[in-house]
This record gives sequence, C-alpha cells and structure tokens, in this order.
Amino acid sequence: MIRNPYINVTLVAGATVVFIILVSFALAALSRFIAKLMGATRTKQANTFAGYLFAAPWIVGFLIFVVVPMAFSLYWSFTDYRVTANAAPNVIGFDNYTRLLFNDSGFRASIVNTLFLTVVGLPVQIAVALFLAVLLNQKTRGERIFRMAFYLPVILGFNTAVLLCWRLMLNTGTGIINQLIRALSAAFPPFGYLNRAVIFVVEIVNAFFLGISNGKFSLLIKVWEAGFPAANRVPLWVQSPLWSKMSVVFLMAWGCGAMMLIFLAGLNNIPKELHEAAEVDGANGWKRFWMVSFPLLTPYIFYNLVIGLINSLQIFEPIYVLYRDNQPLVSSTISMVYYLWQASFSHFEIGYGSAISWLIFVMILLVTAIQFKMQDRWVTYDLY
Amino acid sequence: MRTTSPVIVRIVLYAFLISATILMSFPLFWMISSSLKTLEEANSPGIVWVPEHPTSAAYTDILQNSNFLRTYFNTVFYVVLALAGTLLSVAAVAYAFSRVEWPGRNLVFFLMLSTMLIPAQALIVPQYIFFHKLGWIGTFNPIIIPGYFAGGAAMVFLLRQAMAQIPKELDESAFMDGANHIQIWWNIILPLCKAPLATVATFLFVATWNNLLGPIIYLQTVDLYTLPVFVANLYNINSAVQPWPTIMTAAVLTTVPLMVVFFFAQRFILESVVVSGLKG
Repeated sequence: MIRNPYINVTLVAGATVVFIILVSFALAALSRFIAKLMGATRTKQANTFAGYLFAAPWIVGFLIFVVVPMAFSLYWSFTDYRVTANAAPNVIGFDNYTRLLFNDSGFRASIVNTLFLTVVGLPVQIAVALFLAVLLNQKTRGERIFRMAFYLPVILGFNTAVLLCWRLMLNTGTGIINQLIRALSAAFPPFGYLNRAVIFVVEIVNAFFLGISNGKFSLLIKVWEAGFPAANRVPLWVQSPLWSKMSVVFLMAWGCGAMMLIFLAGLNNIPKELHEAAEVDGANGWKRFWMVSFPLLTPYIFYNLVIGLINSLQIFEPIYVLYRDNQPLVSSTISMVYYLWQASFSHFEIGYGSAISWLIFVMILLVTAIQFKMQDRWVTYDLY
Repeated sequence: MRTTSPVIVRIVLYAFLISATILMSFPLFWMISSSLKTLEEANSPGIVWVPEHPTSAAYTDILQNSNFLRTYFNTVFYVVLALAGTLLSVAAVAYAFSRVEWPGRNLVFFLMLSTMLIPAQALIVPQYIFFHKLGWIGTFNPIIIPGYFAGGAAMVFLLRQAMAQIPKELDESAFMDGANHIQIWWNIILPLCKAPLATVATFLFVATWNNLLGPIIYLQTVDLYTLPVFVANLYNINSAVQPWPTIMTAAVLTTVPLMVVFFFAQRFILESVVVSGLKG
C-alpha cells in the first residue's frame, strides 16, 4: 500500500476507471451476444452493444453500491452484528425492529421531528417559495439579479460555514436576529405584540410535538399556564427544545430557491389566454391567482411535497452544526438520517443501524405511495 | 395586463423584491462583516453592522495556519478528482438513455429514477462495512470512488433531458460517415451539451464541496479533513468566548469558491432547471 493518501486515491481512481471500462465492454459484449442468440438484426445488435456500453457504469454501480448493500443490510437487520466485535452475526429475528418501534425514544423523537418538519416546515417553505416565484414572475427589471439572490441560499445552503454563520446570527443573547427583534419591538409596539403572539403560538405547537415524542404533556401545560409571553421575551432559537426545530424551519424557508425555480417553471407553463379570459370576466389579480394559477400549480406543489418530504428525512448538517454539542437539544430536533448516523456510528451496531435504514426505506415508500394515492383529490393535471 | 398595472403596485412589488433580496443575502453580508470585526465587537451585545476598525488579523492568522491550508488543499483535491469521474460517467449514462435504443432501456431508466426515492444516507451502514472490508476507511476513496459509477440519478436525468432534445439527424449523418457511438458521444453530443454539462458540474461541485456526512464517517484523521469538518470543529462549545472572527473568516474562505462557481454558472442553472423542472 502506498502511504501518501493523495497518490493512493489517484491510483485507486485510475484503477476504477480501467475497471469500469473493462466491465462496460464485457457487459456490452454479453448483451450483444444475447441479442444475437435471440435473432436480432445487425443494427439492433449494434444498438444493444452501445446502449449497455454507455449505461454500464450506472448498472454496475447500482449493483455494487445499492443492491448488494441493501441485501446485506436486510440480512444484518435481523442479526446482532457489530463491526467492532469479531464474532459472526447471530440471527435474532425481529428483535431490532421491535426495539426500534417500541423501546427507542430516540427513533420515536426522530419520527415526530420529521412529522413536525412535514406539517409545519414544508408548508412554510412551499409558501415562501411560491410567494417568491409569483413575485419573480411579474417580469420586473433586474429579474436576473433577484432570481440569483433567491437561489444563492440553495448553493450555500447546508455548508457548515454558512450554518455556523446562522448559529452566530441565531444566538439568543447577542445574535443579530434577536437584537433586531428587540430593537423593533421597542421602537414599534405593535411589532412587539406580534412577536409575543408568534412566540406563544410557536411554543404551544412545539410543546405539543415534544409531548407526542416523549408521551408527557407537562411542558405543554406549563407553557399554557405561563400565559402570554412577557414584553421582553425573544425567540430562544438554538437554546431551547421549544425552538430548536423552528431554527431548522427558518433554514428551510431560507433555502427554498430550488422549489421556487420549480414553481417558476410552472407559472411559465400557464397559458396566457387563461389569464386574459379571467380578466375579461372581471376577476382581479388576487382572484386570478387562486382561481387560475393555483389549481394549475398543484402538480408542482405535489412534486415539491414529495421531494421536500424525502429531504426533510435527510436533514443532517444543520443539526450537526447547530446542536451536536448540546445533547438535550439533539433529541428535540434530530432527523431520521441523523439518528441513523448517531445510532450506527457511536456504538457501531450494524444490525441495529440496518434495521433503522430499512424502516426509513419502508416509511418513504409508504408516504410516497400515500401521496401518490391522495393526489387525485387535489392535483389538477388536465389543462384544457 | 402586466403593462397596465398601476404605479403603486409596481412600487409595492419592487419593495417586496428588494427586501426579500436583502433578507436572503443577509447571512453572507453578516459573515463578511463579522470576519472583519475584532473579538470584542463580534461578541458585543449591541448591533455592530459594519466593524468600526476593520481588521484583517483573522485572515492573516488563518492563512498562516498550516492545518487550514492543508484542509483547503484536501477539499480542492477531493472535489476535482470526484468531479472529473462523476461528470464523465454521468455524461456517458445520459447518452445511453437518450440517444441509443436498446432492449431494457425503459426498465433500467425506471430503476434509476426510483433510486431517487432512496435517501443515499440510508445506505451508509452497509457501505461502511463494504469500505471497511476493502481497507478504505481513513482514505479519500469512499467519498470519491462511488461517484465514478454515475452517482446521482437526478444529474443523469437532467443531462438526459437535454441530450434528448438534440435532433436525431445529427447522429444519423455521422453514422453515414462511419463514426461510431463513442465518437458521436464525444465529438458531437457533448460539445452541444455545454450548458447542461456546466449545470450538472455545478451541482456536483456544490454537493461535494458541501459534503459533511461522508467525510465525518470515512476520513477519520485530521490530516485528511475537508473544509466542512474543519470549520464545524472551529466552534467549540467548551470555550466561554467563541472566536467568531476566525470562524467567520474560515467561513468566508470556504464559501468564496461556491460563489465564484455560482456566479459563472447561474445562467445555465437557472435556465436548465426551469426547462427540466428538476432540482439538484
């Protein structure tokens, strides 16, 4: 083995390229041979060869990095396999799954947090994205600059550097966001009342979700009894379990640029005649949006919901950067993938981690299937 | 109707657009501003919009920090090596799905699209064991090599959509002249796909540059750390005063390449994403 890590990986990369090329030609030759046996024409044989030659990198990678790992992890999920122990895995049946579903407060917390992000975070994110898309769609001057600015967070998004900047800004005492809230509340009393009302609602909702995740609603009662927040209250962004998820929602709304582009594409696809017809019928802008644009945007909302849900299961970086060193907060904000990482790589319990992976798969498939089933009720596909 | 909207509506519209722009780019401004502050200013309880006496001390410090420089080199090295292989293989696979008719194409394409529903991270446990058996833990291999197998179904899809729009007659006339598929792919199709290739390259660049989970799991030694891991470790909960100017300086230097790439690639991205209706 070569000790220099850079030369080492370069050699491995070169070997991988050679491997892929060889395997691709082998796969292509094999498929051409099969096509020949099945009596295909010469052109068809040539096309079969070329198709498998070019697609082979993905097919081989799919087998090596997806199918085989999934098969192994399905097997391991029924065993007590640990990578540190040298013992062979013992089959323990459904123990991992029953432990996960009934005895694992961390996993339950991750499900509840994902539920929160889906019920509260996704609608906020989609609403902001739609609002920005509608603004951009008005064909203003400097549209390109606005579009760039709205999309930039997607690029910077989950880089730890930017997340640390958010941590600085969200600091409860000295962070710029709370400083601004304090200054605005002092200068402009209605803003102060609005702020306190928002704090009240957020804390009630979050206390409710925390109650679901640990089965005790004492915190909810406490928040309710404390009543309307005092005049000097500010959000406790990265400090309190009542706010930790809101910071993530905040980040999601900030990074909504990708969804915004999807909506922009959708708005561009709406035929102008529909709007003109509605205008002739006397509909104002507001009405035109809800009666004409919105129904035609539902397929795009659907797409964003499906993708957004899968993304919310995978949120990792914000939790790592904002909360990793604050254990009491982690359980109030942990996502499924974060939990998977924590559970698998702190104790190297491979069997248990595999069970988590499989539950995540099954849940995504279920939720996506449900979403596809429900879409008939609200998604409009036929345009004319 | 858009031209007849009254002035007041236009003013409100621009007010919204401009304030949204300010809100969206505020973290960037704050990052740069904080990196130029002194330690006292950065942790002060009042609002310091712009440092009173901007100091570049944090920059000179961090640029002399050999750990930071090595981390920076590691990141560039890893991103370039990963990008080269991934881009080439994605381009090859997209060609197979758009320009060639072969038996099984629809099935394989459907399989590929369905992998978009699998969160890649859910495979980390078995993949870790696989790389462990290969002796790849503590090297760059696990975060680079998987991409060489056309990693990223969304990227293949984006490129496929672009390639499918190129007229078929082009390859047909090239076939008449005796060219084979590899020549057509390299000499005709790829040069026509510069914009979508730039888009895919940008998305891949951003994803690898920002990658945190892979490096945390696989790199394991400080010598190999990439920027996201290094920067995340700069924040230390145990110290009473956070060195915010230093952290934000590292943050600025980490985000500069992202912004440069985005600046040059934005017109490709914003267009091709709208065309294919897909995000990265």
